[in-house]
Amino acid sequence: MSLTNLINLSSLGIGERGFITGIHAPDSMRQRLQSMGLRTGREAEVIRSPRLGPMQIRVGSVHLIMRRCDAARVTISAER
Amino acid sequence: MKRFAIVGMPNTGKSTFFNRITGSSSRVGNWPGVTIDLLSARIVLGSEAVEVIDLPGIYDLHGFSEDEQIVRNFLENNPVDLIGVLLNASQLDHQLPLALQICKLGIQPVVLINMIDEADQLGIRIDAGALADDLQCPVHLLSARHGTGFNEVRETLTRSVSEARPRPLDDMRNCLHADDEIVQHSDELISRCVSAPSKLVRKVTERIDRVLLHPWLGLPLFFAVMFLVFQVVYTLGGPLQDAVAFILESFKNTALLPLESVLPPALYGFLVKGLYDGIGTVASFVPVIILFFFMMAIVEDSGYLARAAFLTDSLMARMGLDGRGFVMILMGFGCNVPALMGTRVMRSRGLRWLTMLVVPFSLCSARLQVFVFITTALFSPRQAPVVLFFMYLTSFAAAFLTAVIFGNRLRSDEPFVLELPPYRAPLLKQVLMRGWHEIHHFLRRASTFIISGVVLVWLLTHYPVGSTPGGAGTWASMLGEGLKPVLDPIGISAAMSVVLLFGFVAKEIVIGAMVAMTGLQGSALNGYLGSQMDTIQAISFMLFVLLYTPCLSTLATQLSESRSWKFTGISLTWSLSLAWAVSFAFYQGARALGY
Repeated sequence: MSLTNLINLSSLGIGERGFITGIHAPDSMRQRLQSMGLRTGREAEVIRSPRLGPMQIRVGSVHLIMRRCDAARVTISAER
Repeated sequence: MKRFAIVGMPNTGKSTFFNRITGSSSRVGNWPGVTIDLLSARIVLGSEAVEVIDLPGIYDLHGFSEDEQIVRNFLENNPVDLIGVLLNASQLDHQLPLALQICKLGIQPVVLINMIDEADQLGIRIDAGALADDLQCPVHLLSARHGTGFNEVRETLTRSVSEARPRPLDDMRNCLHADDEIVQHSDELISRCVSAPSKLVRKVTERIDRVLLHPWLGLPLFFAVMFLVFQVVYTLGGPLQDAVAFILESFKNTALLPLESVLPPALYGFLVKGLYDGIGTVASFVPVIILFFFMMAIVEDSGYLARAAFLTDSLMARMGLDGRGFVMILMGFGCNVPALMGTRVMRSRGLRWLTMLVVPFSLCSARLQVFVFITTALFSPRQAPVVLFFMYLTSFAAAFLTAVIFGNRLRSDEPFVLELPPYRAPLLKQVLMRGWHEIHHFLRRASTFIISGVVLVWLLTHYPVGSTPGGAGTWASMLGEGLKPVLDPIGISAAMSVVLLFGFVAKEIVIGAMVAMTGLQGSALNGYLGSQMDTIQAISFMLFVLLYTPCLSTLATQLSESRSWKFTGISLTWSLSLAWAVSFAFYQGARALGY
């Protein structure tokens, strides 16, 4: 996988998808995000991304709202 | 007695299942090793008496959140015979790892796949038999909402519970390393036992969200919903509170007043003016708490609370709060007590405590009564609304300042991630149960504190023997004299400082206290107020009343919800200091400017 197609979740636009490649956060925060469904290899899609306010993300069957600063910790790649 | 614990993620219908299996006999209670109240109920399964416990919703048995710690502590300190894992049928890909973690505990598990009706509609098919073979425990498909599959669940529970034995647990953290395997195992099981359409679309929910989460329409609609909720709680609550007050007053007049000639004065005063009025104070909160939680249950169970968080987060994030806190602060403008209890939806302690520090600055309806009275007495009809508006502004400013100052200290490092569940119609039974449990909780936890406080203030304002009640010579007025150096600089006279003491019990009795102290009513009381203070003193007095402390019941609720004397002490100290500083700045500033 080349570095150029490694981006983070907060930079995706509405309707864009990507596969989660990692979560760059302290242990407790990573564990939390993982347990809410943000696991490596899963596909994430941005449903809403208002200019002000958090994003709505779909991972598998789950819809989550998360702040952009937290979404920025989740790296995404176009391919699995 | 056997013990059956229910675990599951938030939004899996755990409470609905709990209510269905237990009927309505549940109660809240303390458990060893656990710092929050848990709901439990005793039922009979076959020939066994079984205690069913509803544990808080968790995402991960090995996680670091407070609720996850609570569930672990509970399981370690209270041996369980049988553990039911509730899963949401349409989110098995997401939820099955939790079931696998629990199956590895060594406690006899029963896997309950709930909301099968929703999954059916989405076209999801689940092979429960194959899952049961792999997990080596009973697996049931059910709908707790509609009762589908419930007879089979009950049969299985009856059979399992009679065979089950409690097992002591080792430190669960030790199993952390197994989690990667669990996720792999879960994915493999899902691909084998669950068939779902390649793209799950939540049609109805998405259609509603297009309106309710609209970039421009969302916030106005949110405020409209909040306005509606507020109106229902407080316009309906007001007359109910009056009715409760009327009943209590009638009982007092017919049954208690005749005792005055029979009982010794001290005992009569203690019983009627201390104890009975204390009970009256507690009782006056009952209608609004019940109504508030009826409405909150609807807002929460429908899925709208998570939307409210989404809509207001950008505003609140800057204050270190989240959108759910915003809902509670708004509701606090009716009454602080239920708003404080409502913060329980926030599961991180830092966030919750910060919200509980901020809520008491919401200008509640009781304070509004006092302000309306004083402004009508001392200001012209044109000035009065301006003064009131100024009080509301101060209330917002104090809330904002508090959040900014304490935000850093109470900041939680938990990420702000919330699930956005699909919209669901709230169940009437759930809504009613919620109101019932909350009022039970309030009465059990806060009533003793409130009643003792009312009795204490009665003692201070009526003793020592021979003093005029509320007047010169009482301990209260001595206290007022003693506080002179503190209250003089903010323009509050000694007589008014006794009123502040009454105001501490409840703002509703401030006016009554003035009537009792002076023996004056109506325009005569207005005249007396005018002789006690000029307009600058009046504003300073109102600023102090707005900020110094909401009331004894709010304080009692802060204590019962935080379970921390330190937190309650800090909150009280902060609001007293802030009140004094603001009044001082205003009073001295206005005087310096020559007003």
